[in-house]
Amino acid sequence: MSVYRISYRYANSFFQLAEEKKFLKNFADDVELIYNTLVQSRELRAILRNPVIKQKDKKNLLSKIFGSKIKKETSDFLEFIVAKGREDIITEIMKEFLNLRDEKEGIVRTNIVSSVELTDDVKKNLTSTLEKRTSKKVKTDYSVDPNIIGGFIVKIKDTVYDASVKHQLELLRKKFSQEISI
Amino acid sequence: MAEIRPDEVSAILRKQLAGFDNEVDIYEVGTVLQVGDGIARVYGLSNVMASELVEFPNNVTGMVLNLEEDSVGCVLFGESTLIKEGDTVKRTKRVASFPVGDKLLGRVVNPLGEPVDGKGTVQFDKYMPIERKALGVIARQPVKEPLQTGITAIDAMIPIGRGQRELIIGDRQTGKTAIAIDTIINQKYTHTEEAKKYGIKPVYCVYVAIGQKNSTIAQVVAKLEEEGAMAYTTIISAPASSPAPLQYIAPYAGATLGEHFRDTGRHSLVIYDDLSKQAAAYRELSLLLRRPPGREAYPGDVFYLHSRLLERASKLSEDLGGGSLTALPIIETQQGDVSAYIPTNVISITDGQIYLEPNLFNAGVRPAINVGISVSRVGGNAQIKAMKKVAGSLKIDLAQYRELEAFAKFGSDLDKATQKILAKGARLVELLKQGQYSPIPVEKQVVSVFIGTNNYLDTIEVKDVKKFEKEFHEFAELKYPEIYENIRSTKELKDDTIHLLKKAAEEFLEKFSK
Repeated sequence: MSVYRISYRYANSFFQLAEEKKFLKNFADDVELIYNTLVQSRELRAILRNPVIKQKDKKNLLSKIFGSKIKKETSDFLEFIVAKGREDIITEIMKEFLNLRDEKEGIVRTNIVSSVELTDDVKKNLTSTLEKRTSKKVKTDYSVDPNIIGGFIVKIKDTVYDASVKHQLELLRKKFSQEISI
Repeated sequence: MAEIRPDEVSAILRKQLAGFDNEVDIYEVGTVLQVGDGIARVYGLSNVMASELVEFPNNVTGMVLNLEEDSVGCVLFGESTLIKEGDTVKRTKRVASFPVGDKLLGRVVNPLGEPVDGKGTVQFDKYMPIERKALGVIARQPVKEPLQTGITAIDAMIPIGRGQRELIIGDRQTGKTAIAIDTIINQKYTHTEEAKKYGIKPVYCVYVAIGQKNSTIAQVVAKLEEEGAMAYTTIISAPASSPAPLQYIAPYAGATLGEHFRDTGRHSLVIYDDLSKQAAAYRELSLLLRRPPGREAYPGDVFYLHSRLLERASKLSEDLGGGSLTALPIIETQQGDVSAYIPTNVISITDGQIYLEPNLFNAGVRPAINVGISVSRVGGNAQIKAMKKVAGSLKIDLAQYRELEAFAKFGSDLDKATQKILAKGARLVELLKQGQYSPIPVEKQVVSVFIGTNNYLDTIEVKDVKKFEKEFHEFAELKYPEIYENIRSTKELKDDTIHLLKKAAEEFLEKFSK
């Protein structure tokens, strides 16, 4: 079975539990913490993926790292994943959980790349426009890339709104490389 | 050439820029997860359609073939080395399509419609999807008009009708392509004013070269240009050096172009040379996409691959303009093994096959058609009446000859009747021999077959048969031109024409034997 399908099943079961217990907010915070830690620590991911390390050690390690910071249910869930031998895809499961949470709460995540740091006014303006367009709550992630020369690029899921000068120039190049009809 | 002044250049550039707007461009993207062997797995592209074209960096295009839960499998139409993990893939929102239009005639293009003949961009009317559903029963009518190949053996015994699918099958080096090229060359007549007068509609040709050597394709193009056949022909080239996905879509592109002519009430002939290579290309990419292999490692849908292609050949009903698309698929067998997977599949799909044999080819019987096992399931409907009349006895005579052929070495020990059959058969076989690139018009074919089956060759030596035929045509054209004229205009062999023919034959026989 594909990783996608497995991680969805684990994430969904935990998500349903969270909803049932009405602790979605707390659980989501826990999951976010775990997810961020995993993304940042290559060593931790490597250890979890390593089949040579015993499950018991992995379990202990996880409870030592997160034990005090997360709710009991969450740490039980982690233990459950390890017991099932799926510790290699914990990152994917956590990500899937966050996706489910976003979907439930009507949040879309966007990446905004601009050539220079945007002012707060522009950011606000952009966010409200995007919220109007998607009719969802928009969570933005800003980054600066001088390579795009000017303008900005917004990425929402798979759709890109490209208003960068670099892309305009690229389009212009394409247009000129086509045969000129006089 | 006139000089270009700088201000002219800037005027053109200004014109180009005028239509350029700088609004926000919205597009959908995905990320390459894995690439190699001409296949890319892409994450994202969540709204992509099956068989949609997608854009990779470095001007590589691809086509989506597999839609999976979390990723999309694409085949690449370019170098996979130009693409790396993490590259951005863009949707084009256009399913794989081919440009169609009359301006494509005379051009050599690749299966995406890009020119490969160095004659500049291709002008076209519109893009049509390369995969189209074949027409249903209501839109069709039975095949009834002949498509003259110009090869006597085929036109007399294995007639091909407009809208038919006739397979050309044989080992390598048996003259499969030669038949196809001769057929294209013979369509030149249909584009003349004379043909128009007799109600023969022009046939537009598409030659799809799949997995062939570039040199072979260049030869074909040169020959067709020399014969003036490129004026009504398009060549779609997917040579052996092109990626497997291009070879896979090439026949569909050809069918799409053929359908353009068919749907505008005209007639088209599409030659797929050859489908065994296409099947191999499809096998390659299916295996790379990890579809389970079946017999001879072909994927399970290899039958559908060919059936959906050949089903697009059709003769439209009069309400829809009466156009037609004739398909001549070619299959190369290995060591004469017609019971291999792909040959049996295609034999069962088509309306008949022309079987070429290396033994005959080496014995000097060219075209090396084995008329015993070659058939056309459309049959007599696709022949003019005159040909139908003379071809009946030709088939019987040759069948009898084949039955007794094994005894031929006993020579004079045989009885009179057997000897007679053998002598006649040998002369008929000789009569049906024909050089390459020399198609014969149907009225001449009728006359030749007539003199052959009516025993006028009995007294002629076998080696003189071709000479006799040639000189007889010269004689008759000079002295009795109305024979040809009658057959051409009425398409029948009436009693008075037969009478004239007999008279001419007797007269000439006397002269010839002197």
